[in-house]
Amino acid sequence: QRGDSQQVQDSDRVWNHHKQAFEYISVALRIDEEEKGPKLQAVEWYKRGIAELERGISVDLGPGTGETTERDKRLQSKMATNLIMANDRLELLAKVVSGSS
Amino acid sequence: NTTTLTTPQNEVDTLMHKMADEAGLDLNMELPQSQTGSVASTVASSEQDELSQRLAKLRDQV
Repeated sequence: QRGDSQQVQDSDRVWNHHKQAFEYISVALRIDEEEKGPKLQAVEWYKRGIAELERGISVDLGPGTGETTERDKRLQSKMATNLIMANDRLELLAKVVSGSS
Repeated sequence: NTTTLTTPQNEVDTLMHKMADEAGLDLNMELPQSQTGSVASTVASSEQDELSQRLAKLRDQV
């Protein structure tokens, strides 16, 4: 049984990792969206963002079905989608970077 | 119409407060915790959606 304060702590952890991931991946995207952007830098930012997504997703929210828990779980599932997409992008970019050097 | 642009901000504020008083509203009322939580949640959710969309656009682009 999780107490309220535990729930708030877990919730905050998910949000904080979301925030960090959003910032890092936004930076990666800004670079990556430029045709001649420095892709190697984008790779590094993607990696940071991916690490934050992984941390946020790995927060165990328990079996609770309260409104807050449901909301956090929905956010985690969006983060999981982006984790897959960012990993795919990273893989492709890594090939490009290693191929062009 | 430029009339609204030349109306001083303090007059607008005064009018807003007068209207709010008449309607029995408190303009400085803070949102309850659960409300701010759900606003933050909506923002976070749309931020993740934005990442998805931008990542999707880059898919297969080299």
